[in-house]
Amino acid sequence: MSDVFSVELENIVKRFGNVVAVDHVNLKIRENEFFSLLGPSGCGKTTTLRIIAGLEEPDEGVVRIYGEDVTDVPTHKRNIGMVFQHLALFPHMNVFENIAFGLKMRKVQKEEIKKRVKEILEIVKLEGLEYRRVNQLSGGQQQRVALARALVIEPEVLLLDEPLGALDLKIRQHMMVELKNIQRKVKTTFIYVTHDQTEAMTMSDRIAIMKDGKIQQVGTPLEIYYRPSNTFVASFIGEAVNLIEGEVVENGLVDTSLGTIHCAGSLTKGRVAVMVRPEMVEIGDKLYNVDNLFRGTVQSIIFKGSYIEYRVDVEGNTFVIHKHGSAELGRLHHLGDIVEIGWKKNSSIIIPI
Amino acid sequence: MKGTNLFLKIFTILVFLFLYSPIIVMVVFSFNESKSIGVFTNFSLRWYEKVINNPEVWKALFNSFWVGAVVTIVSLILGLMMAMAVTRYNFSGKSILESLILIPVIIPEIAEALSLLIMYIFLNIPLGPVTVIIGHVAFCISYVTIVMRARMAGYDRSIEEAARTLGANEFQTFFKITLPTLYPAILAAGLLAFTLSFDDLIKTLFTTGPGFKTLPLVVWSSAARGGVSPELNSLSSFALSISFLFAVFRLRVERRLER
Repeated sequence: MSDVFSVELENIVKRFGNVVAVDHVNLKIRENEFFSLLGPSGCGKTTTLRIIAGLEEPDEGVVRIYGEDVTDVPTHKRNIGMVFQHLALFPHMNVFENIAFGLKMRKVQKEEIKKRVKEILEIVKLEGLEYRRVNQLSGGQQQRVALARALVIEPEVLLLDEPLGALDLKIRQHMMVELKNIQRKVKTTFIYVTHDQTEAMTMSDRIAIMKDGKIQQVGTPLEIYYRPSNTFVASFIGEAVNLIEGEVVENGLVDTSLGTIHCAGSLTKGRVAVMVRPEMVEIGDKLYNVDNLFRGTVQSIIFKGSYIEYRVDVEGNTFVIHKHGSAELGRLHHLGDIVEIGWKKNSSIIIPI
Repeated sequence: MKGTNLFLKIFTILVFLFLYSPIIVMVVFSFNESKSIGVFTNFSLRWYEKVINNPEVWKALFNSFWVGAVVTIVSLILGLMMAMAVTRYNFSGKSILESLILIPVIIPEIAEALSLLIMYIFLNIPLGPVTVIIGHVAFCISYVTIVMRARMAGYDRSIEEAARTLGANEFQTFFKITLPTLYPAILAAGLLAFTLSFDDLIKTLFTTGPGFKTLPLVVWSSAARGGVSPELNSLSSFALSISFLFAVFRLRVERRLER
């Protein structure tokens, strides 16, 4: 992994009136990394992106691009590309003119412009559409034009502000894979803002989770999913999560209302929450080889295709369990059944509250 | 139901007859051979010949055109600036400004014209083409602002931001992105300003100096001098057809703008 940082944010603060939109954000984004800013709407992720672009001025803090302090450099002098949420294609220009705009501003020779537009059109798979008007293109094609327009200037960083939001599910899934491929091809840092965790998980090398203007955690998708640093991240990421509060009594042992739970080792002490992902919990009439075992009543059963979601009540606590590969219909549990649920100690993670 | 439909049709026809029959009569009688304006005798273009051979008419037409052009350009620039200010920025007194800009549309033109004249006399400004232009701009700017503001209210500024990220400075962004995308609205507003200036009588009458006449002024003074005559009919029809052309052009632009 590269040790060069393409974008660094140092103690960035941005206020709108009384609202603190970005609250002391520190980030170091590596060269050629696919980095996502993920969070619920209004968490400050778009504002952070706009600060990197220079479209918003931070009230405090420093923005660096490849080590150079660009905090006071205006947008048009920063070497960045940006794909906007509503694409912002120039309606009075055709595909070629849209893509060539940035090159023209940089006073690139005409022949060179033609060559580079052609190359980028190949990368985004839009060959032959140069002279179409942009409003004659499909949503997916417009997406590619916006991407090509931002990439053709060979920016040091590409900023993407929820660019897939307007597309329908199938095209979106397709574009996710495509985006990741394009990023590998052009070898540029991508900073991607989204509220959709699937998008972030699918494409990112690392993700920063934001809430109320603050960074909650920065990590790889796996780290964020399995080692959330707080309960917000634990419940924001993934379809569902089981959290049980308790007190650490010994390394790896947490005293809860359900009794002592065996967990993976942790240095955290005091009040904590124990997290268990639904797919880590086993369910059956009789379980062996689990470190934590409880008996409960099946409350609800939802068939979700590749798995079945059970909700099991254990002494007033509801556990969500995702059971995969339940093809043997005869072994399904039924509403009201008394079942055993359990998991190994390495599946339960201690999270500080 | 059918009866109502028929009634509506007749009613509509009557309304339009009421609106347009004077104009139709004027146009028809401008082709009348006879000097009388009561009886139509023979088709003739002799009155048009007279109008066309009248150097005063040509001079006035020329005046109307260049005054209209200057008024259009000045009020477009000022109106565009005003519309941008009220749609893009927040400043104290903004709502007062927004109401003030509507006043020339609401108050009687004669009051406006008279107050302008008084001001010119008070400030000792000699009357002539410049005072006419100022007078026209003073109300055209309101119409331009209203048209432009409506268009700019729904303007997606992210295309300007996109241009900035692509390396365009504020001037390049304005001239290569903002202006071209506002072009249909600018064209519509400009044609409206031109038509208003071209047709204006009262303001011009009050603020013009000796010897400077626009086309409506020539029509007015010839009516004042000799009463209604076939020559006046053809002169008016002539002026009417020019305004009509501009109005049609403007409507077509506006229709394209809606699409």
